[in-house]
Amino acid sequence: MGDEQNPLLPIANVGRIMKQILPPSAKVSKEAKETMQECVTEFISFLTSEASDKCRKESRKTIYGDDICRALGAVGLDNYAEAIVRYYINIG
Amino acid sequence: MRQAGTYSGILSGGISGKTGPHLLPLARIKKIMKKSGEDVKMISGESPIVFSKACELFIKELTQRSWMVTMQGKRRTLNKEDVASAVMVTDLFDFLVNLVSESGHSGEAPPPLELDTFTSS
Repeated sequence: MGDEQNPLLPIANVGRIMKQILPPSAKVSKEAKETMQECVTEFISFLTSEASDKCRKESRKTIYGDDICRALGAVGLDNYAEAIVRYYINIG
Repeated sequence: MRQAGTYSGILSGGISGKTGPHLLPLARIKKIMKKSGEDVKMISGESPIVFSKACELFIKELTQRSWMVTMQGKRRTLNKEDVASAVMVTDLFDFLVNLVSESGHSGEAPPPLELDTFTSS
C-alpha cells in the first residue's frame, strides 16, 4: 500500500475509473486494483523523470504541462498527448 | 494577460476554465511527481491537471487490455494476473514490466535473469 515514503493514488479513485470502462457486470479483484494503483503511480514517476530530464538539459527549473505532453510523445504515447490537448481546448 | 507560448498557451488557457473536481487528487499527483527524482524541483500548476487526464487515459487503456485477457479466460472477475499479462504483451507498457513481475506474478513473461544463481538439477 502507499505511505508517506511511497505515495500511491487512492485505490477508490483508481477503481472508479476502471469501472467506467468495464461492462456493468464485470468484477475487479482488490489485488487487481492494487496492481493498477502501482502501475499508474509508476506511470507518473516514469513520465515525470522524462520531462524532468528534458528540463534539466534545457536548463529550465519548472516542469510545465506541455513538458509532460512532450514526454508522452517521447515514450510513444502521442495519442494521449493529443487527447489531452483536445480535451482542454474543448472545455476551456 | 500574459501571452503564453504555443503548447502551454493551449493547455493553460484551457485548463484555467477547468477548476472543477478531477477524477484524481491533484495534491497526491504532485507528491508522486516530487518523489520521482531529485531533479524535480518546480512543478507548474497545470502539470498535475495534465497528469490527471493522462492517468485516466492510462487506467482505462490498461483496464481494457486486462479485461480482454479476463474474457479470453472466460472469467468475469478481472484479477491482477490479467493486468500483468496485459502489461507483458503491450510494448508501450514496457516500463511496467519489472513492476508487475516484482509483485510475485509470473505472467506470460519468463522470470528475470539472475546470473550466478543458476541451480543445476
